[in-house]
Amino acid sequence: MPQKEPADMTDHGDDELSSRTGSPDEEGRVPEERSLLHQSLAVRELIDTEVSYLHVLQLCASDIRSHLQQLPQGDLDVLFSNIDDIIKVNSKLLHDLQETAAREEEQVQLIGNLFLEFQEELEQVYKVYCASYEQALLLVEAYRMEPRLQREIQDTIEAVLPQAGSSGLSFLLVIPLQRITKYPLLLQKILENTLPDASAYPVLQRATSALQDVVTNINEYKRRKEVASKYTKVEHLSLRERLARINMHTLSKKTTRLGQLLKQEAGLIPKTEDKEFDDLEESFHWVSLCVTELKNNVAAYLDNLEAFLRFRPQEYDLDIPGGPVVQYCYLARDLQLQAFPEFKQRLEALVWQPLCSLAKALAGPQNLIKKRLDKLLDFERVEEKLLEVGSMTYEEEAARHMYEALNSLLVAELPQFKQLAMRWLGQILCTFVTLQRDLAKQVLQRAEGSLAQLPHHHISDPAFRKLVEDALGQTSHQLHAFQENFEKVLPPPTTQPLLPGAEHQVQALLSRYGPGKLYQVTSNISGSGTLDLTLPRGHVVALLQDKDTKGNSSRWLVDTGGHRGYVPAGKLELYHVVPREEELRGQARPHRDSQRQTPEPTLASVPSVLAVTQVVAVYPFVARSSHEVSLQAGQQVTVLEAQDKKGNPEWSLVEVNGQRGYVPSSFLARAPGPALWGWSLPS
Amino acid sequence: MENSSTMSKSAVKISLDLLSNPLCEQDQDFLNMVTALDTAMKRMDAFNQEKVNQIQKTVIEPLKKFGSVFPSLNMAVKRREQALQDYRRLQAKVEKYEEKEKTGPVLAKLHQAREELRPVRDDFEAKNKQLLDEMPRFYNSRLDYFQPSFESLIRAQVVYYSEMHKIFGDLTQQLAQPGRPDEQRERENEARLSELRALSIVADD
Repeated sequence: MPQKEPADMTDHGDDELSSRTGSPDEEGRVPEERSLLHQSLAVRELIDTEVSYLHVLQLCASDIRSHLQQLPQGDLDVLFSNIDDIIKVNSKLLHDLQETAAREEEQVQLIGNLFLEFQEELEQVYKVYCASYEQALLLVEAYRMEPRLQREIQDTIEAVLPQAGSSGLSFLLVIPLQRITKYPLLLQKILENTLPDASAYPVLQRATSALQDVVTNINEYKRRKEVASKYTKVEHLSLRERLARINMHTLSKKTTRLGQLLKQEAGLIPKTEDKEFDDLEESFHWVSLCVTELKNNVAAYLDNLEAFLRFRPQEYDLDIPGGPVVQYCYLARDLQLQAFPEFKQRLEALVWQPLCSLAKALAGPQNLIKKRLDKLLDFERVEEKLLEVGSMTYEEEAARHMYEALNSLLVAELPQFKQLAMRWLGQILCTFVTLQRDLAKQVLQRAEGSLAQLPHHHISDPAFRKLVEDALGQTSHQLHAFQENFEKVLPPPTTQPLLPGAEHQVQALLSRYGPGKLYQVTSNISGSGTLDLTLPRGHVVALLQDKDTKGNSSRWLVDTGGHRGYVPAGKLELYHVVPREEELRGQARPHRDSQRQTPEPTLASVPSVLAVTQVVAVYPFVARSSHEVSLQAGQQVTVLEAQDKKGNPEWSLVEVNGQRGYVPSSFLARAPGPALWGWSLPS
Repeated sequence: MENSSTMSKSAVKISLDLLSNPLCEQDQDFLNMVTALDTAMKRMDAFNQEKVNQIQKTVIEPLKKFGSVFPSLNMAVKRREQALQDYRRLQAKVEKYEEKEKTGPVLAKLHQAREELRPVRDDFEAKNKQLLDEMPRFYNSRLDYFQPSFESLIRAQVVYYSEMHKIFGDLTQQLAQPGRPDEQRERENEARLSELRALSIVADD
């Protein structure tokens, strides 16, 4: 009988091994029992190692980590990574494993199922740890450089886990990696000792290959991460740093690539066409175009929104109390201070920010795509060489692997990227729409509130529009009236007082030519030519012709009553003469305008006869005959007749101090009555 | 006014560019969403134009008209000013003569000056009265004048925003899940971002 030696099994002192009760007489059963035994030993091993593994993990996570507080938290995070998650998963696994022990016959099957269940979780949790393991190792190396730190770490570890030995931290950190790779082996061992026709066999088989896959995936993930992190780091180098980077190696690399590219373009060598990848790349390109465009458009929109908000009509003071104006001001202020800023802020947080993040995320893949192309060129070169020479150097081998790694990475992840990006884009757009709706709702609420307070709120829109049109038409007329009012130019006082004695001259001209032809000189005219007149300001002349013999209409031919000649038309102004008789007789006729403030009281009392007026003597006159009378300057005289017996207007018959006699008319100054030469005021 | 038009136009551009992206050909859902968005934006733009026109008619133009009276008013004020100057000048002249010794020539000149003064004074006072009357009337007319304009302004807003509310309300219902609070949206954005970052090809920074 073959000895059933438990020598090669780890002895945990339990009694399951006591079931050595295989009957030796059944040859067929012995190997079966043996394998059954091995199987249960393997199961035992699985569970027990799991227990101790978990125990060590927990020690690391709690005791050791907490004692290593002198290290910065960032370092600790790198070192121990997601060890807590691992502990969680493995605790659950252990718990379930231990439960299966209760169901002996089905245990193996249950174990198989269990691992299938846990496959996904294990992969997720361990791949993270493994990916950061390299970095953790780097840190450990760094610590080794510092003897004091190293000593401290070592002491801590030895206090907790003496069996860690001198390798300390690195020994501890590698444990999870070892464990995850051990699972397939452990399962394999159980599988070997399971009969192929046992019900548990297929399950176990699946479980084993599943765990194998887990390990493979984790490795793949790690490799991808490495490759990706090597190339996605957007490096901000100064020019000097960039220059420093150029060395023989990089130059030769780049030259080779360039050569390759040129050869392709020239058609000397075939370009590796990868339709699948090209499609992916194109698709990615569209996504990034979409994102970039959208981002720019949203930026423009936000800018315009800001400009829109800068315009604040409600802040100008119109000085109109009450009514719709005030309503509007309140409304506008409300919107300005609340509704719109809120909209803007939400827009920025929920649409703009995500777009920016999304746009930034584009950079990584873009870089990698570029790098892949570079590596592709290298790869092709290598392939060429392989064809020619039949072998390649280690470097070339590496280049090939690099390309393949990048390629597979991109092929795997670009579709995912696109899908995620599109999903996010869709969400962002939906948010944009919702924000617009919310804004509209807010504004509408407030505006309707304001509307309700307006006088015409109950009127429908078309009716209201008609109303406004009519109102505006009316007010437009009003405004027009105002404008006309302001525009009417009140004519300046046309009269300058006549020179003494000019009154009858004016009358003479008037009677000869009619009132429409009389003009008054507005400023002194000094004639230059032989036919030009020299006239003082205020002189009245009659127009004979409004142009001279050459047709020049700015020189007019006038009659002064004594002389004829030319004067510049610009210095003449139409002289309005309203004959006094009319004024005085037609008292009823209101030539006084309502705009006049100071009615002249003297009007009615002026005697009607033209010739008789009160005048003031301007110059003294000494009578030389009995027909004449003496005058003193400033003396008031009464004119009886404005001409002498022969009709000569140069002499006037006056009465002064009770004496009558003739005096030169030119020595007298007229005191013109107010309405005498009234200008025609618009009524 | 142009500001709101520019805003509206840039909103239309958003949807227009989205529509022109070839992604629409690949993804039917995306195409549908973008088309709906585009329709909404275009309609809003049309409404915005209407609003602008209405406001142009009922607010901007009346405002301009009101403002156009001011130049005439200013001219009238200037003329009054000038008349005042003339008045003062002649008044001073009269006073000068009044203070001088009453000789013949002086008296004559005094008379003459007084006669010159009188029409000028009347003219000034006429102008003054006119302005005193009309200006307050004009100023007060603004109260009634502007009421309809502002009413119209508010109404135009109501019309525009109720359309906007309807259009975007419908669109929200059609496209997606409305009524999510902002924090939830922010969390979702964070989730999307971490999903993206989980990909190795996306750089972590």
